[in-house]
Amino acid sequence: MTTVDPDIRIPDPIELDAAEEARLRAAAGMMPSPAGPEYSGFEMVGIPDRPPQTEREREMYTLNEGEMLINLGPQHPSTHGVLRLVAKVRGEVIVDMDLVLGYLHRGIEKLSEYATYTAVLTYVDPMDYLSTMHNEHAPAIAFEKLYDIKAPPRAEYIRALVVELNRVFSHDLMMGFLALDMGGLTPILYSFIERDEVVELLSAISGQRMLFNFFRVGGVNWDVSDEFISRLSTWRSKVDKLIEMNEWMISENEIFTGRTKGLGVLSAERAISLGLTGPNLRASGVPFDVRKAHPYSIYHELEFDVITQQAGDSYARYMQRVAEIKQSIHLIDQIVDKMPHGPVQAQVPGIIRPKPGRRAYGAVESPRGLYSVYALSDGGPNPYRFRMRDPSFISLQAMPVMMPGLLLADTMAVISSLDPVMGGVDK
Amino acid sequence: MDLELLLGIGRFLLATTLLLLLTVPTAFVIIQMEMKIIAQLALRFGPNRIGYKGMFQSTIHGFKVLAKEDAVPDQADRGTFTLAPWMVYMAAAMSMLVIPFAPGAIAADFSIGIVYFFAVLGLSVVGLLVAGWASYNKYSLLGGLRSAAQMVSYEIPLTLSIVGAVVLAGTLSFSELIAWQRDHGWLLLWQPVGVVIFYIASLAEINRSPFDLVEADSELVAGPFTEYSGMRFGFFFFAEYVALFIMSSILISLFFGGWLAPWPFPAELGGFVGTVYGAFWFFLKTYIFVSIAVWLRGTLPRIRVDQLMGMAWKVLLPLALVNLFATAIAVVAFNL
Repeated sequence: MTTVDPDIRIPDPIELDAAEEARLRAAAGMMPSPAGPEYSGFEMVGIPDRPPQTEREREMYTLNEGEMLINLGPQHPSTHGVLRLVAKVRGEVIVDMDLVLGYLHRGIEKLSEYATYTAVLTYVDPMDYLSTMHNEHAPAIAFEKLYDIKAPPRAEYIRALVVELNRVFSHDLMMGFLALDMGGLTPILYSFIERDEVVELLSAISGQRMLFNFFRVGGVNWDVSDEFISRLSTWRSKVDKLIEMNEWMISENEIFTGRTKGLGVLSAERAISLGLTGPNLRASGVPFDVRKAHPYSIYHELEFDVITQQAGDSYARYMQRVAEIKQSIHLIDQIVDKMPHGPVQAQVPGIIRPKPGRRAYGAVESPRGLYSVYALSDGGPNPYRFRMRDPSFISLQAMPVMMPGLLLADTMAVISSLDPVMGGVDK
Repeated sequence: MDLELLLGIGRFLLATTLLLLLTVPTAFVIIQMEMKIIAQLALRFGPNRIGYKGMFQSTIHGFKVLAKEDAVPDQADRGTFTLAPWMVYMAAAMSMLVIPFAPGAIAADFSIGIVYFFAVLGLSVVGLLVAGWASYNKYSLLGGLRSAAQMVSYEIPLTLSIVGAVVLAGTLSFSELIAWQRDHGWLLLWQPVGVVIFYIASLAEINRSPFDLVEADSELVAGPFTEYSGMRFGFFFFAEYVALFIMSSILISLFFGGWLAPWPFPAELGGFVGTVYGAFWFFLKTYIFVSIAVWLRGTLPRIRVDQLMGMAWKVLLPLALVNLFATAIAVVAFNL
């Protein structure tokens, strides 16, 4: 039996008296207990029912005359899942904004530490549920480094093919959702039609429509058939027209441009310092693309440019996506042309046990940016540590920087242009 | 008591009852149109289960709303919260009094019908503001404020845009206005700028897309209607579509000849046949403009609140004033 030191007791937070709380706070290095009259009280809706923990939190939740807190989310028509935005508004003008995350936290990283390496690839699927293929790609790369195997060339080509297809529909949905968040009802349905075309293709080789579960350590699950390639070329023949139809509804629309141009501007320096990656960073003019900067898979064999925009506003982020869709289609053409024959899965034992102490890092360019995985092995059948960097989480941090001074209505236009997916943010 | 007076009262009661009854199928038809047309624009089927090709879907929606619970938030101001839908609905229903449906089919042929119409329709903003304020909800509050700002701003270009037409025709009565158009051609030809201003401003006045900021669903959930449920919400919903019908009918009465056919109205057509003939053209033209409004909703994104205000005060109002002065000068100069 263990003996309990009588001096140590677990404080009940409800019954804590002020002195006790102050002592604990001092011990924990937190700010002294609140709250003069200037702190706007816990009973108000939207304010956390506890003292402010940081200076930033105190600043955010202290209301001046004429200001009001308004909760957008977690249950709100247009917060892309369960993101909760607390906006401090003066009339309709946003003074400050706080993001409250974690409503969709499922502990995927921790779950993955209890799963075998093969099973991890199925756990990461529902992370960023619009780019499932990329979610699987990064851990697949990391685990292959960890176990020191290489996927066969045909598997790499199939991987590149499916992730580019995935990128097409992910960017495509972003176009529609951006319009939807501004009240355009139709483009999103066109987007879903286009998405469905791609998803049908991907389900033809993976068997699933959303959480594809297609990648394996050392290869992919299924080979592509000739029938699939012919279906792909059918899709290829009409995709340009579909994209053009949707773009035609949005890109030149006066109301759309009026609501996105010049809003949510991020300079290149600001975007870099915030850690933004992917289309959001390239829209600010920084030519950083993981596929080019740190080539993985077969991207060093393919010919493509890093597209950038200069403006760094919501419209530039939108145009960046449109340009990247076209580029992805260009990449798909090359991949299909060059695809070699051969096996699609390397010889890998049923349960992978990498050498203890090995660590590996796999990074891919997901539709939302640099998506990477870090895995550490202790010699067991499952990763000892497994961490993921999700680009949506990083790009969301730009919201409080961009929003002050804009209107409440712009919140949706700006957040949609960042294209976050809460499944990835909350893990 | 005077028999004439009694007959007048009876006629008025009959007319108002008929108009109130007309609002319900009108709303059903427009909601059904909206569901179907937007579905077609989005390459969907739309509702296709209830009735022939789903034609009773909106009716079922209406009855479903009746069956729902009327919840009132704890902290809401119960009295005004209950009153607000009634105000909005009555503003829409009352303004139907002066709509000329067909020759002889006008509930109250006021000599100042146009003034009455704008006065009564403007009341709906009070209902929206009250709804936003009484709900004790921040979305509702912002929606109510937006509705006040938007409707007050757009009332001005809306009203000014028709003053040109009134100056030309020299009357404020709808039936006389249509009679003038029979003799001189549709006012569309005389007032092309006025038509455009009126159409844009009327969309904003009734909170239709792309000016549907009041219940901007992606920002304010449902604006002033957020806390409403059941038939109280149903009244708002009905009023919105009835207002669309009313605005379209006023537009065609003012500028597109009302119940006049596109070619000269046969003078020998009188009595019941004439009424039916006129009503046919009235409803045809009205529903053409209703369809255009639905089409716009399916196509355009929502305008932002500051752009909306800028448009009213910087574009529409000066344009309406210029139009009015040009018309007035022309009337004096050419002795029209």
